[in-house]
Amino acid sequence: MNSAAIEVNNVSAAYGNKKALDAVTLVVPAGSSFALLGPNGAGKTTLINILCTLRRPDGGTAVVAGADVITRPTQARRSIGVVFQDSSLDDRLTAWENLEFHGLVYGMAARPRRAMIDSVLDLVELGDWTHEIVRSFSGGMRRRLEIARALLHEPKILFLDEPTVGLDAQTRQRIWQYLDRLRRERDLTVLTTTHYIEEVEGADIVCIIDHGKIIAQASPEALKREHGVRSLHVIPQDAAAAELIVQRFPEAHRLGAEGLVIPADQDAQTDAFLAEFRDRLSEVRFQPPTLESVFLSLTGRQLRDRTDGQRDADRAAGQRGGRR
Amino acid sequence: MSPIILLRGIYAIWLREITRATRDRAQLIGGVSRPLIWLLILGVGLNPYFRGEVYGEVRFVIPYTYLQFLFPAVIVLNIMYTSIQFAVSVIWDREFGFLREVLVSPMPRPLILLGKVLGGSTIAMIHGGLVLILARFADVTLTLGQMFVALGLMFVLAFGLTSFGVLLAARVRSFEGFGVFSNTIILPLYFASSSVFPLDPALTRTQMVTAYPEWLVFLVQINPITYAVDALRGVLIGFNQFPPTYGWAVIAAMAVVFFLVALIDFSRS
Repeated sequence: MNSAAIEVNNVSAAYGNKKALDAVTLVVPAGSSFALLGPNGAGKTTLINILCTLRRPDGGTAVVAGADVITRPTQARRSIGVVFQDSSLDDRLTAWENLEFHGLVYGMAARPRRAMIDSVLDLVELGDWTHEIVRSFSGGMRRRLEIARALLHEPKILFLDEPTVGLDAQTRQRIWQYLDRLRRERDLTVLTTTHYIEEVEGADIVCIIDHGKIIAQASPEALKREHGVRSLHVIPQDAAAAELIVQRFPEAHRLGAEGLVIPADQDAQTDAFLAEFRDRLSEVRFQPPTLESVFLSLTGRQLRDRTDGQRDADRAAGQRGGRR
Repeated sequence: MSPIILLRGIYAIWLREITRATRDRAQLIGGVSRPLIWLLILGVGLNPYFRGEVYGEVRFVIPYTYLQFLFPAVIVLNIMYTSIQFAVSVIWDREFGFLREVLVSPMPRPLILLGKVLGGSTIAMIHGGLVLILARFADVTLTLGQMFVALGLMFVLAFGLTSFGVLLAARVRSFEGFGVFSNTIILPLYFASSSVFPLDPALTRTQMVTAYPEWLVFLVQINPITYAVDALRGVLIGFNQFPPTYGWAVIAAMAVVFFLVALIDFSRS
């Protein structure tokens, strides 16, 4: 048995002169939960498109469930389920009709098809909506239906491209619950892309991608251990104190209305800071290394600054019915 | 893959088109109202003037009424509209992402297109068939056999025209653009197909009293729709302006050629 569900070797892709993927190499072990983390435009969707055979790589090879995506795309397609970033449901059909269509296209016989449709609808708790037209569904319901559809033909690998974009916090949490359960129950390999850093904490392997290059690939714990930076969160007593801290420690940056974050990876510096400002702080707290700090120390940029604005845009897009 | 699995896929794609069409009231209303307008207003209105009169003098006796003459052409018009407008659903699939759902499936690309075109052709054939209900009103009496032959011919014609619509859709990217584009194609083709007037007013192939200028005759003769209308007239009212085999050959050729070109387009994208 092959222990790697996906093997990507030296894959590159370009749109005109712009390189979307630059010699990407990665291995996704079978049965694992693999998260591809990176800002928008990092090349995540391009990689997914290559892996689900919608786009040919401009160089390199990719093997999905034992089938080369270039030479044996049909075999690769049979073992994968895909949830795209933008909805690909037919919203003039009912939930059941969408699933029936999918089952037929994947060549499933009537009896197992009908049984699986009931089972996946139950899984995503849409049983009561079976015969409703998809147009009346909310963004979260559509996304759940898409996950159900991607699982209908019992794929070995599930691709989810930004599965929680445009959804509220509660729905996002529910979707992650389904996915966790699925992986436990069905021995499924799940590859997710996201730019929400808090969503990759539960993944087995996190792969950080930026500007089309893989810059780190390990478990969240290992990433934090190796690249994470402990920080000190403080709230100065007054604005004058805050001003002084920023002057003395230029690496400090603001958090919220009055808070400040100071990297605390060097004890000497931390001691010096505390000795100097101890009396002018109203709150002091050590923050253990986060994936956010991993991303920052690897790329020199914040992921969150960009994603907060992005999330609002995503939410607005979600309210427009998933259209951009 | 075994044939039964592939057939399921084609059936799914075909069924989806049919389901969508039955939920689209506007399309159905268009399919019913169009022939009514053409037959009731144009057909009834012009019926008395169709009697072989050239410059005030009755030259020949015509064995058909104008309604009878127009009837097969209205069927072709209905098929043209529905077939070519079907391409909107191709644009829709591409714009709203549904196409990707099919493209990541193990279905071979040519069969995806085949299922889609078969679905569109079926809808167009049904819209053409709706006109047959008006046959009695147009004084056209049909045997069951004639109806079946006509429906078969309509299906092959619809298949060719739907493929033509699909290859237009591959070139026109937006919905709005396509709406304008399709109208500027459908009506000229229809009018220049000897649909609303006979090429030879005497309705006989031998009598060469031609009241039309050369260019118009030329346009009509190079227009493939002319031969489709002619073939259907042959079946429904027993009148042909051209050798009957022409129509069948042109309809079959359109189906094959347009589908193959659409297929090449589709595999490339």
